[in-house]
Amino acid sequence: MFAFWVVAGLISAAAAFLVLHTAARAAVNAGSEDPTLALYRRQLGEIDDLADRGLIAQTERKGAHAEAARRLLTAADAGAAPWRVDAGLRRVLLLVAGLAPVLALGLYLAVGSPGYPDQGFKSRLAAWRAAEPSSLSPPEMAAVLGALTLERPKDPEAFRYLAMAQAASDNPSAAARALRRAIELSPRQADLWELLGEALLAQAGGEATPESSRAFAQAVKLDPRTVNARFYLGRARITAGDKAGGIAAWRALQAELAPADPRRAALGQAIAEAERGPSPAAPLAGQMDAIRGMVAGLAAKLETDPGDAEGWTRLVRSYAVLGEAEKRDAALASARKRFAADPDVLKALDLAAKTEPMR
Amino acid sequence: MINEIGAFALVLALVLSLAQVGFSVAGRWRRSAVLAGAGAGAGLAAFGGVAIAFAALMHAFVTSDFSVANVAANSHTEKPMLYKVAGAWGSHEGSMLLWCLALTGFGAAVAGFRRGLPVGLKTVTVATQGALGTVFLAYTVLASNPFERLARIPIEGRSLNPLLQDPALAFHPPFLYAGYVGMSVVFSLAVAALVEGRADAAWARWVRPWTLMAWSLLTVGITLGAFWAYYELGWGGWWFWDPVENASFMPWLIATALLHSAIVTEKRGALAGWTVFLALAAFTFSMLGAFLVRSGVLTSVHAFAVDPTRGVLLLMILGVTAGAGFTLFAWRAPALSPGGVFAPVSRESALVLNNILLAAATVTVLLGTLYPLIREAATGEAISVGPPFFNLTFTPLMAALLILLPAGPLLAWKRGDALGVAQRLWVAALIAVACGLLAFAVVSPRKAMASAGLAMGAWLIIGALVELAERTRAFRGSRAETWRRLTGLPRGAWGMTFAHLGLGVFVLGACFETAWKAEAAETLAIGQTLNVGAYELTLDRIQGVDGPNYDAERATITARRDGALVCTPRPERRFYPTGGQTTSEVAICTQGASHLYVVLGERRPGEVWLVRAYWNPWALLIFLGPAIMALGGLISISDRRLRLAVGRRAVAE
Repeated sequence: MFAFWVVAGLISAAAAFLVLHTAARAAVNAGSEDPTLALYRRQLGEIDDLADRGLIAQTERKGAHAEAARRLLTAADAGAAPWRVDAGLRRVLLLVAGLAPVLALGLYLAVGSPGYPDQGFKSRLAAWRAAEPSSLSPPEMAAVLGALTLERPKDPEAFRYLAMAQAASDNPSAAARALRRAIELSPRQADLWELLGEALLAQAGGEATPESSRAFAQAVKLDPRTVNARFYLGRARITAGDKAGGIAAWRALQAELAPADPRRAALGQAIAEAERGPSPAAPLAGQMDAIRGMVAGLAAKLETDPGDAEGWTRLVRSYAVLGEAEKRDAALASARKRFAADPDVLKALDLAAKTEPMR
Repeated sequence: MINEIGAFALVLALVLSLAQVGFSVAGRWRRSAVLAGAGAGAGLAAFGGVAIAFAALMHAFVTSDFSVANVAANSHTEKPMLYKVAGAWGSHEGSMLLWCLALTGFGAAVAGFRRGLPVGLKTVTVATQGALGTVFLAYTVLASNPFERLARIPIEGRSLNPLLQDPALAFHPPFLYAGYVGMSVVFSLAVAALVEGRADAAWARWVRPWTLMAWSLLTVGITLGAFWAYYELGWGGWWFWDPVENASFMPWLIATALLHSAIVTEKRGALAGWTVFLALAAFTFSMLGAFLVRSGVLTSVHAFAVDPTRGVLLLMILGVTAGAGFTLFAWRAPALSPGGVFAPVSRESALVLNNILLAAATVTVLLGTLYPLIREAATGEAISVGPPFFNLTFTPLMAALLILLPAGPLLAWKRGDALGVAQRLWVAALIAVACGLLAFAVVSPRKAMASAGLAMGAWLIIGALVELAERTRAFRGSRAETWRRLTGLPRGAWGMTFAHLGLGVFVLGACFETAWKAEAAETLAIGQTLNVGAYELTLDRIQGVDGPNYDAERATITARRDGALVCTPRPERRFYPTGGQTTSEVAICTQGASHLYVVLGERRPGEVWLVRAYWNPWALLIFLGPAIMALGGLISISDRRLRLAVGRRAVAE
């Protein structure tokens, strides 16, 4: 706080000095000639100069010269009231120059946060690193571990811990990124691939993607006993439509688990649920027609009122659900063009286009 | 401590701006040189205060100090350094601070020149600039404080909109703002002219360098913005007649008109009232732009402060400052002297015509921008006024202007010789028509309007060169004489030639690109190809890339023409996890003046990717033209005659 007062005082003093100094200088220069006359004289010179170089015609020269000379004479005759130098004002100036910082300070105390020190990321990070690890929240831990990986860029374990902290902070894409780095350093570690698969799964909102399945498959290839990877691979098969194959894979996994393993029971429950198969019943044909009619109505409405961002998002999502990929892409393309400058709408549109079709 | 120093310095700058107004007004009233000087000093100090505040804010961004609300909302530790720095003006609060920095900076520049301006004119200018500074600083401090602190400090910031994380956009706002706010000096000088009752030839010369500077900066700023829209939004377009674009285009049009009318006032003392009017209008349109962008009436990347209260405050600022300026104009303009007379065919008349057309064009843009907003406010019904409206209204006005343009500089002052000008320009007209016919015959598909546009571009370029040849007696006098004239030509004349040439280059590019661009989009698996124009693009590879703060898919595509390899564009699709946004990073292959423009779209089920490609012929000229125009402006500023101190020395010698 002391430093703040010193610096604020110095800034105020510098401002006051500038005001007084410029005023004093203006007093010295007060008597100098009106620059208008000099300018008009120069304009006369320029006309001659241009004419001598042939850049304006001689006929034009005469007229222009006469006009410029007339301007000079008028300006010289005008002779405005002189500017005064009154030394008596010095005290007023000093008073105002002193008062301005006081006024500023008052306003600052009202709108500022006096005494609040800077909180640069570096110093906060140092404090977290010095603190007891158990007292840190997951994002703080992730920040600490992120700094650690910078110091130990060749250590796959550091990246693995970072990934776990990122996952705990609900930041799966950062976790995946850390895991990719860890795998680069140690490509034959099955648990890293398994974690990567889980992070990618979380990033996709729990849905299996080709990337996550590839990661799980790699984990199983390196170590056939990786339970989670095999579980997720089985689930991916079931959601992709291969129910029998998925359940068989799960059964094989279940058989390998020790009877006391709690995962065994959980897996049994998952198998039972999958067999019951809550596959959504296809809507009746009449319902589908009604839905198509509503979507067509929405499309027609957007033709006349194309500024409705929410409507466009709904249209894209509807086409995606109906499985009409061409219409979906056409609607997406024209909506994207229309809302190119609005990232929020674009995000919503992209998300809508990714909606799974109804089976 | 640095944050709080910044907050204090900003408040101090506000108080100093107030003192600047008080001292200057009192100084003018009592004709006291001391008080006027103190006002100028306060102006310098206010700029110092804002500069300290701006440096402090930048420090907060660079050190990722998330206790500052503005930093927490717009930065992130993983953001590359350039965008941390640029983040300082990437938000509403930060950009208001940048606006104030430019405003007080220009004010300090006026206040700091010891000689040049007569004391009275300078004092009123400094007072007006101080008043503008006070209003905008008060708005910043009280309604948009960039140093607001958070009691609960987040671990990470929310990062800057990824669309704005781009080199062109890092530099677009500073140029644009310097241009916008540069008009404030012109505004202040106009107020001073009205108060002092002297809008004469000398005043016009003092206005010109400021107008030129602001105009050049605005040209660069708008071009950078258009270039950003062109390659960052990934739709291949560069101008959408979006209200935000129009908001920056209107002050530019007015400033262009002002540049030309100020010449008439400077050379002949005529059109003084009109020049003053334009000077007031230019900054009014700048403020209108600031209001449109910040009030939340528009939805766009620029509309960062979607907050009606702030919008109403800005509207009040706009109303009060512009209202005061124009009221003063209505009261004092009749007293201005009429200046020299001129014939209907003369340089003056040509410049008047230029002004009428530019002003009419500004009005059409204003209507096209405001009408949808007013209608939506009145009836709640949203309509969009797009290219069809502007093609019907703006384009014909501009076409008329461009047809007349090459004739203007060839006309003599006072009384011109229309026949003589026609004689000098007929070769240019012939070549231009030939260019148009050639384009109509050769370029397929055949397009009459676009061919006419190309003829227009050629007409402007050749017209500018004919004017240069006329001045230097090229092809008529001896080579030595031509050289002597060429080197003796004032910089102002060079500036004009460059600006008109640049406009021609732009017209060529804009017409060609708009009429003959080709577009193709297909979903491609690895190894599949897509044809656009004469090019065949093959998707070779897709790889994952870890960027500093994004994950990306990067496509490697080979472009072939007639089987021969042309280039390998590498477009990216970037995902920014912090905000969950996806952006596309366009790959552009420059082929001469044309662009092969490739965008990687989203991945579709079954390992296929949407790839969009555009062939944008002569697209480079669209951005090169304005760059040449801005260069012309800079050359003009460097004219010896405009640099007062140097001129003074030259006379003394």
